[in-house]
Amino acid sequence: MDSTTFSMNRAELDLPSPVDHVRSPRTRAMVRVQNRMLDAAREFLRDESVTEIRPPIIGPVTDPGGRGAKQVDVDYYGRRYRLMTSAILYKQVTLTGFDAIYAIAPNVRLEPLETAVTHRHLAEFHQIDVEVAGASRDEVMLLAQRLVGHIVTRCLSDCQGELSELGRETAELSRALEPFDRMTHAEAVAALMDSGHPQDPGAEIDWQGEELLSSRAPRPFFVVDYPKGSRGFYDRESPSEPGLLRNFDLLAPGGYGELASGSEREYDYGRIVTRMRETGENPAKYGWYLEAARAGIPASAGFGIGLERLTRYVAGLPAVWQASLYPKVPGVFAP
Amino acid sequence: MTRLSAAGFPEAEVRARAREGARRAFPPLDEYGTTLLGGRGSAPVGGDPFDALRIVPPIFTPRRLEKLIELAREPLPSDVDLAVSIGGFRSSCPVYVSAFGSTRAAGDGLGAAVARQAGRLGLPLVIGENIVPVTGYGRLRRQDEASMLLDRIRAYAEDLPAGLGGVVVQQSTEDADAEVWNLVYSDPNVQSLADSGRLGFELKLGQGAKPGLGGMTVVDRATQARLGDAYAFDDLFATGSERVMRSGSPGTFTAEILRNQIRFMRNNYPRSRIWVKMPPVRDIREAAEVARTAGADAVTVDGGEGGSGWAPTAFIENVGLPLGECLVRVAWPSNPATTLLASGRMWEGTRAVKAFAMGAGAVGLGRAALLAADECGDAGLVRLVECLTFEMRLLISALGKYDVSQLDREDLWSAQPTGTEPAAATVATDGAGVG
Repeated sequence: MDSTTFSMNRAELDLPSPVDHVRSPRTRAMVRVQNRMLDAAREFLRDESVTEIRPPIIGPVTDPGGRGAKQVDVDYYGRRYRLMTSAILYKQVTLTGFDAIYAIAPNVRLEPLETAVTHRHLAEFHQIDVEVAGASRDEVMLLAQRLVGHIVTRCLSDCQGELSELGRETAELSRALEPFDRMTHAEAVAALMDSGHPQDPGAEIDWQGEELLSSRAPRPFFVVDYPKGSRGFYDRESPSEPGLLRNFDLLAPGGYGELASGSEREYDYGRIVTRMRETGENPAKYGWYLEAARAGIPASAGFGIGLERLTRYVAGLPAVWQASLYPKVPGVFAP
Repeated sequence: MTRLSAAGFPEAEVRARAREGARRAFPPLDEYGTTLLGGRGSAPVGGDPFDALRIVPPIFTPRRLEKLIELAREPLPSDVDLAVSIGGFRSSCPVYVSAFGSTRAAGDGLGAAVARQAGRLGLPLVIGENIVPVTGYGRLRRQDEASMLLDRIRAYAEDLPAGLGGVVVQQSTEDADAEVWNLVYSDPNVQSLADSGRLGFELKLGQGAKPGLGGMTVVDRATQARLGDAYAFDDLFATGSERVMRSGSPGTFTAEILRNQIRFMRNNYPRSRIWVKMPPVRDIREAAEVARTAGADAVTVDGGEGGSGWAPTAFIENVGLPLGECLVRVAWPSNPATTLLASGRMWEGTRAVKAFAMGAGAVGLGRAALLAADECGDAGLVRLVECLTFEMRLLISALGKYDVSQLDREDLWSAQPTGTEPAAATVATDGAGVG
């Protein structure tokens, strides 16, 4: 039982060698599309008066996330630090000095090995992470819709050659310019059960379920109101409907699946500590964050868009690893 | 000065406390790592309802008739089917091995010896909390890492029969910092167990020996330095002692916190079974019900007689309900999706069969497993379980039953009703489960 003998390897997943991947015309086209996407995102957020920040890479604590992904430990002068799995804690605290912020930053999550075959998980990826003080869920959902719409508009107009080289069906992509649909988590569960897919009503939509919903949808859509017990402590519990979270996922059509997650946030100190316990966290390790929360952080809402996932959707790539120059598919030892 | 005396008063103990201070709240330090503590079961305050119970066979045995018809011959003790499902795992008999954590008594290869034998027997094995922060995981090996979690999992998987058993890993509040469950869940070494549905995680709410307290072990100063601020340490022992006591917290729970922790575990680890371990607390009924309805695969009741690790003497004999009373209080549905497990001073057949009759689906071996493996590292536990299951078959067949799930409170008699719930002695109609 040596970890080097883990059976999942590049050949099984049909991954090319790093050099073949980097110099492939398709990869080069993908990078040009991705660059245009990032330009468009910055252009849009600047016009919305959202300030770009550069969050830390390591810290004493990071987003505990869910679904069993392991954090990467870093020996920081003898203390255990973590590589960022998301910027959520820093986003909330930064809002004590700014009204609206975003970051485009790398994150690392050692996802469970079964995600190697979902076509939409990378252990190393980037997020376009947005947080707005005083915003409601509806406001940031609209912001996310407009941001994705703007990115798609720019790519459709400026990357025709690349999209054609990648074989992207642009009529299908342009449906991202229509208003996004919305369903509740409970409705999503019911739809999956109706089609014979077993889905735990108290949990996240599983990978297959998500792909099923996504493949039936004509355009991007939101799933809202996830049950408590399926998400981290920072997604705000609805005051009027206890047990439901004021959060959302954004899913792409065509089987591409989840693009983004977002929520209104818990910001009251006592609520945060209680929610930490409900998710099995040890509040003691969140010292700096709780100190800030006790002193007062603003109410906010925000979201994080997976850059590689959005690239996969915009460029029409079969798998998310194709949206990274040096992809880290979970469990595969790659440079 | 005249030395006072106080006949009829525990003078020696008072004097010892006067000399030694807080460290005297624990058994002598030289017992640490060599003595398995936990209740003696001799005369715990209030008594143990189990001790007042007798197993009472009947003359009329309709279940034996069923078996006779099935076999076309008179059934024998060897016809008792002990194979059961324990918290989502198949087991050759209604026995699992309870957790013993980072306590030194389980170190020096003893933990691995227990794991290896439990695997050979096909029994589910629970691996205790605090092992990873205290002794490491074992993947990127450091020289000072001793009895590591991964070593125990490897030892367990060595001779594990196909389709049987399962390994269940605990995570304490402090373990959450080391992300023990995430580490195990994403580890290539554990995938064969996970793929075959034989991986579980246990949420530990406390333990029999010290309900209301978290884990406690005695560590040396070098270990204290390495653990840094992950734990609280108490300088209890003699001035200049090389050893200190490490304390974990029991964790804060409300019904809502427990319910959501279980749901979050199910959400995060869909390929894993979820077990919940309860200390012998007065609200055991409500807590077990929350765990069951939140979807736990097993709920363990660890009686006040349990415990292999370090605990204050005040707790060992005086704090927490005895196991029998816990089982009286917990009203478990018949044919439940969640297995009720019982542990605490388990080693022979009568206590186990009494627990089955009171609703438990399996019993956990803690101290007995350690002692057996200490007696013989190759086969001590195997032989102990062989004797235990032999006794179970004798007792269950004497009751005219041939399956653990057929046992009921009608199979027990008590001279005196106990507890606040219907007494264990309540006579039930044949075969019906009694809440």
